[in-house]
Formats: sequence, structure tokens, C-alpha cells
Amino acid sequence: MTRYLSIFLTFARACLVRDMTFRANFVLECVTSLGWMAMNLAFYLLVFTFTPEIGLGTGWTKEPFFAFVATGLIINSIVQALFMPSAEELTEMVRTGGLDGILVQPLDAQFLLSMHRVDFSAFANGLVGVGLLCWAIPRLPQPPHPVAILLYPLLIACGVAILYSLVIMLAAATIHLGRNQSLYDFWFYLTNFSRYPAEIYSGPWGGPLRALCTFVIPILLVVNVPARVIAQPLTEQGGMMVAGTVFAAGAALVISRWVFQAALSKYRSASS
Amino acid sequence: MHNSSHPRTDAPREAGEPVIDVRGLAKEYRVFDKPEGLMASVTGLFNRKSRVVEALRGVDLRVEKGEFVAMLGPNGAGKTTFLKLLSGIITPTRGSATVLGSVPWERTDDFRRRFALVMGQRNQLWWDLPAAESFRLHKEIYRIDTPRFERTRDELVDLLDVRKLLLRPVRDLSLGERMKLELVAALLHEPEVLFLDEPTIGLDVVAQHSLHRFLAHVQAERQMTVILTTHYMKDVAALCKRLVVVTQGSILYDGSLEQIVDRFTSHKIVTLDLDAPPDRAAIDRLGFPCEIRGPQVILRIDRTRIADVLPGILRGQGVRDVSVEDVPLEEIVAEMFRSGSTAGTDGATGAPR
Amino acid sequence: MTAAASHSPPSGFLARRLQGLRVWWTMLVICLEERLVYRGDFVLGTLMRFLPIVTQVFLWTAVFGATSSGSIAGYSRNDIVAYYLLTMVSRAFSSMPGLASGIARSIRDGSIKKYLVQPVDYVGYLLAARIAHKLVYYAVAILPFAGVFLFCREYFPPIPDWTTIGAFALSLVLSFLLGFFMEATLGMLGFWFLEVSSIVFAYMLVQYMLSGHMFPLDMLRGIPTGVAGVSVADVVRFLPFEYTAYFPAAVWLGKVQGAELVRSLLVEAAWVGVMIVACRIAWWRGTRRYSAFGG
Repeated sequence: MTRYLSIFLTFARACLVRDMTFRANFVLECVTSLGWMAMNLAFYLLVFTFTPEIGLGTGWTKEPFFAFVATGLIINSIVQALFMPSAEELTEMVRTGGLDGILVQPLDAQFLLSMHRVDFSAFANGLVGVGLLCWAIPRLPQPPHPVAILLYPLLIACGVAILYSLVIMLAAATIHLGRNQSLYDFWFYLTNFSRYPAEIYSGPWGGPLRALCTFVIPILLVVNVPARVIAQPLTEQGGMMVAGTVFAAGAALVISRWVFQAALSKYRSASS
Repeated sequence: MHNSSHPRTDAPREAGEPVIDVRGLAKEYRVFDKPEGLMASVTGLFNRKSRVVEALRGVDLRVEKGEFVAMLGPNGAGKTTFLKLLSGIITPTRGSATVLGSVPWERTDDFRRRFALVMGQRNQLWWDLPAAESFRLHKEIYRIDTPRFERTRDELVDLLDVRKLLLRPVRDLSLGERMKLELVAALLHEPEVLFLDEPTIGLDVVAQHSLHRFLAHVQAERQMTVILTTHYMKDVAALCKRLVVVTQGSILYDGSLEQIVDRFTSHKIVTLDLDAPPDRAAIDRLGFPCEIRGPQVILRIDRTRIADVLPGILRGQGVRDVSVEDVPLEEIVAEMFRSGSTAGTDGATGAPR
Repeated sequence: MTAAASHSPPSGFLARRLQGLRVWWTMLVICLEERLVYRGDFVLGTLMRFLPIVTQVFLWTAVFGATSSGSIAGYSRNDIVAYYLLTMVSRAFSSMPGLASGIARSIRDGSIKKYLVQPVDYVGYLLAARIAHKLVYYAVAILPFAGVFLFCREYFPPIPDWTTIGAFALSLVLSFLLGFFMEATLGMLGFWFLEVSSIVFAYMLVQYMLSGHMFPLDMLRGIPTGVAGVSVADVVRFLPFEYTAYFPAAVWLGKVQGAELVRSLLVEAAWVGVMIVACRIAWWRGTRRYSAFGG
């Protein structure tokens, strides 16, 4: 375990060295992702000029909602920084044979393939997320429960784990399909549903959609559960959600590992 | 020293288990008539048209410790497939193989720490970083302790004279320089077995030569077992005593470099330098296939008759110089590739079907 | 294709036009074949592009649920759904994926040289290629679009009169031209800057927000600029961006009518003119700079 950590740190160090050699590019990437985020925040501010709350009686008034947005920023920036760059490279590695070089190394292939690149510029949004959270928390209608503060990092980790599993499964699909230009699109459309509180999905269409994105592809648990725990009063139903999220994260990791190994073994028996 | 363990059919094996032991290894893979488009790919999940390609058709090979084996064959002969199987990158359809006592495709970490694979056309080093960073990573992945790492690195770097390249980004290096650093990286963990897949492809003569010197030296010193695939006869001649010729997934020849000449050619090439361009009819009268280039005559003479015929020829008028040579290796091998002949394999070392 | 066209330089004006037409036709056929091979992919991809709208619609539904009034900035909930769907139509005309970056790339890697040598007008060629692409795109995309619109027909107001439909069609054609010449001009900045991808990204950001792709621009009416009596909406109205998404949708929904409609169409046409001139100047000065300094 410590060995994997030290290898990961070596990867991270190498990527940092690389980013610093292309400093201008690094700054540009930070600025563009910050620009995108600022635009979204402006949009939310605009929405709150028309309504005090998103969904009647949901409790997502301005400050809790911005705590929600901050949570989303933090989770997404972790995934974007640690896992997306490697996953995007995977198809290219299959095509050029770089995957072969990975498979002969005495390390877990999934670890190497999903974590060998770190995109430090993606942390910029996460930092803004932390700042936004620090702004929102003292302004919440009620201060977060101490238990909630303890649970929050765990649930963030669960959210990251669920997204990681999705990335891994999409990457496994690209090994099969042999191309990845749609990987990022698909990722974008899928995670798009996790951007807002789950309560907005109601009605004859919203209900089934919410169920689908909670129980089948647990994308709605990713941001919603940690954000709800920190920004809304703790309830019994909330306890269930926490347990469900921890379970979903574990299950997602196991299933994605299985899918990924299956894709690799298919690669091994199908290629020449 | 690597010729001491040349495995002839009848050679006793009391020296212990061979380092590489391959029996009946076959690899077939399906080629899908790849449907275009995402939808087609999805429907294709259930209903795909495919055909089976036999990349390797039951290969047997035993390699002893410290041997340097060259694998020669045209493109698509199955050389790379063979190395990928022995590295555990892919799994075989049939047959068995052990490398260093392990089954490669079980991919135990212990096994993977004991060999290295270098592919001439692929880049293992981090493109945008100096090679020194990749080496550090290698140290972590292969758990090399620091003193050993530094000692090995310094030794290899000095042998190849690449110390000044270590701190330059790999993307700024020439192909030859990159290949040298790839080799250093691959040898850092002191593998007992080394697979080289076309390591000299695209290199200029100077770089080729220095790689040859380096490989020969390191291999001899460490008693490493090496399998090298290549297109270049020069690689073979410089490095290997044992030659394996592969075409269409089968081994055509497995034996020493010298013997391939004995086995596959019945004649020698005799070149005569004359005072003046000769009379065609006089040469034809000798009764051998010939070629006349000005005052030079090139004859192909059956090797069993050379001793009888040559004195008579030399007694003829105006012969200034003579040379007797074997048919060049390139020519023999090219002929083997072309004919795809299955003759001439040693009974036990190759079993083509 | 241009290479083929330039092998035998045609003599007269008519011959040249005919040759151009043939090039254009070949391009059209190739585009069509390409699209048809990937049609499954394409339909799926087009449908996926509607997914973000689903989220937006649910968001606004929740917002309407929490407010007492039935309208926000003059939009009912149904209007909002219809608005987002209509902006998809506007974007289908005005968006030019890969145009600016493609021009910048051909400047960077030097392939633009062949347009300096050959008797082909680069911008004209790009425009023809783009029209071909778009036509083929509409031919195939009409199916998923029709499906979605039919599915969502209750959200739309009754079909407007012919004048409005005509104005809508005109605004779409103009939005295509506006989008094309804006992006082409942007790409030609590549003559001056090595890396235009960040400029393109900044443009996309501004465009996304100020074109009305993100929300109906009428919502900015209540946002003050700091100058008394001037709202953000008043400023945005003077920029070309709104014509690439907001304006055609607003026309269809009857938000812009009468003299206001005529005035807006004239402003849009004026913007098209300005961008054509800007594009010409950028090309002219850019190529002069390029041949002076060497690519």
C-alpha cells in the first residue's frame, strides 16, 4: 500500500515537473476552467434573483445551494485532476501499444492505467469550491451538525469513488470500441444530472429519472448526499442515504474493477 | 560464452530447467470486420462477423540460461506475438510456456520483476520529462533499493555514454538516443530475461553499432537470456549464435548461424578476377551457373565439387585473384521467407505443422 | 478537392463558376456519404445533445414551483422549455465546430500556403464546405429534431403567422452567416498569435452566456449595470452574440414583433456585414504579414 502511495507520488511529482515546464499552458488551463465555473456561478446568482428557493420546501435556498455547488466543484475537481487525464489517454495507449508496456510492469494494471497522470490545473476549481464552502457554511440557516462535519469528507470520498468507477467503466468501454472521442461527451452528459439537487427531478418524468440516477447509475448520490449532510438538517432519511451512498460507492468500485479486468482480459486474448 | 549452451537436439539437459520452455504454443485471434459507428458497434456486440487468424501455430522452443537468440522473420510472421505471449501481455489459445519457471500470462509480480521487454517502435519513457524522472519511477515500480539503483544506472549510463542526456526532456532526443535510454530503463532492475522487439528499427549505422556493442557486453557480463526479434541480418551476425527463423507462425529453422548455411545451400560462390573480360562460351563450358561483370566472373559451384573443380579453373589463363564465399545470409533467409519451406528444422527444436 | 479543381485552371468566369460548383457538389456528396455511414452514431449524438436541456427544464420547473408568479421575465414554464428547444435550432445554424481552430491550425502547420498559391478563395472555399456540411447535417438531424419537438409540442405556443415564420427563417440564415464570419475572423487571429485555442475558448464562454444559450436574455433586464437606467440586457442587445441563439428563438415565441423585429433583423444583417468586412481585412492583412515574415 505504501509502495502504491509512493509510486503515485512519483507520478504526481513527474506531472508537476511537466506542468511547470509548460507553465503558460498550465496557467491558461487554470484560467479557462475558472472562467467556465465563474460563468456557472453567475447563472446561479441570476436564478436566485427570480426565486428564493430551488423547488418549493426543498430547503435549497441561496446559501445551502452554494454549499451544494461547492461540494460539486470539490468532487469534480478531484476526479478531473486524478483520473480523467489517464482515462482519456487509454484508447490512445491501446492504439499505439503503450498498454503493452504497462502490462509487463509488476504493478496492478488498473492502478497504473487510471492514475499515471495528474492534471494539477483541475485543482483550481476545487480550491474555489473550498472557498465557496467556507463562505456558505457560516451563512446556513442552521450550523452543520458535528456528525455531519465528520461524515462530509467520507461522503466526498464516496462521491469520488462513484465517479471514478464510472470513468473506469467508460474507459473499459473504449478499450472495446477502440475510440474515445465520445468518452468525454458521454461523461459530460451523464454527470450533468448530478449538478443540481435531486429534488428538482419530480413529476411523471422526473420521478423515474431520479430513481434511475439513484439506484441504477448512482450519479445523484455523488454530490447530493454530502451536500445535503453539510447544508441541511440531519434526518433519519438522511441516515439511510448516507448508508446507501457508502454501499453504492463500494459496489461501484467492485463492479468497475470487474468490468475493467474483463476488458483487459479481452484485450489480452483478442490482440495479436 | 553464449555458444557453450547451444541446445542441439541431442544435447543433454542436466544443466537444469531451461529458462524459457515453450511447447506447442499457439495464438489465434479473431479479426472482426469492424463495424463503423457507435450504433453498429453496439449492435455488433451481439452479431459480429469475424474470421480467425493464426498468428502462431504451435511453436516449441527451449532456451537455456545465458543464450542470445535471434528471431528472424518477415512482417506478420508472429515474432511480436511470440514475445507478447512470453511477456504475459496476451494469453495463448493453446500450448504452454514457462519463463523462469513461471507461466507468463499469470502475471505474478514476482515474475514481472525478473524480465524486461523493449519494443523498438514504442516509447516507455515519459515524453515530456527527462529520462532521469522515468528512471526514478522505474526504481519505485520495480522496488530497486537506492544503492543498487544508483550503481546499475551509473554503470549502464557510462557504458552507453549517455550521462549528459539524462536531464534533457525525452522529446528533444534523437531516436538513437531515446533507444539507448529505453534500454537503460529496461535493464535497471537487472532482469534475468530480456525481450527485444526490433530494437534497432530506424536507427542509423552508428547507433546500431553502439547498441550492438552494449548489448553484447551486458548480456555476457550478466549472463542474461535474451530473445531478439529483428529484420536486420547485421543484428543477428553481431549478437547471436543461435538463430530462429519464423514464417507464418511456425519455426522454419532453429540452429546455429553457421549451420543455416550448410543446411540450406548446396553451393558456394566463387569469384574470379581475370585480366580481361572472358569469352562467354569458355565460361559456359565449365557447366556452372555464372554471371559475368566485365573482367569478373561469379560462379555458383556445388560445395562437394569445389575441391575438384577449383584447381582446374585456377590453371586457366589470366586468373589474377579468386575468392570462395558462402551464400550471403540475407539471401538464404530471404529465400526461406519466400518459399515458406518447412524442411530443415531440427527435429526437437522446431515442430512446424 | 481544391487540389483537383486547380489542376486545370479554367479560363472564363463562367467556367470558373462551373468548376466551383462541381467542387462544391463533390464536397456535398462526400459529406453525405460520410454522414450516412455514421448515421446511427449521429442520431444518438444529436439526441444526447438534448440531455443538458432536460436538466435545465427540471431546474426551471423547480424555480417556478417556488415562486408565486407564473412568469419569469415574461416567460411561462412552457415558454422556457420551448425557448431552450428553439435555441438548439439556432445553434444548429450558428455553431461552427472546428472552424476557428481549423483555420488556426492550417496557419500554424503551413497548409494555408496552398490557398495562397492556388486560384481558390480560401474563405469562399471554407464557406462552401461549411454550407455543404450544414445541409447534410440538417438532412439527417431533422429526424431526431422532429422527434423531440413533436414529443414536446405541448410546450409550444400555437404556430405563429407566416410573417413571423419568414422572419424566423431569415434570422436563422443570418445567424449562420454571422456565426461563420465571426469564427472565421477569430481563426485568422492565428496569423498574429501562435496559439488561438485560449482565445477561442474565451469566445465560447462569452458566446455561451451572452448568446442566450444558457438562459433567455430577457432575464438580464432586472440586472443593473451601475449606470442609471441601463440594465445588462440593454448592453447585451448591442452585441452580436444574441443573434446566434436568443434572437431566432425569441422571434418564434413572439417576443420580438413589429418595428422591433424589423430593426433587429437590420441590426443582425449589419453585424453580418461588419463581420464579413472584418474577416476580409483579417485575411488580407494576415496573408500579407504571413508572406512577409514567412510561415
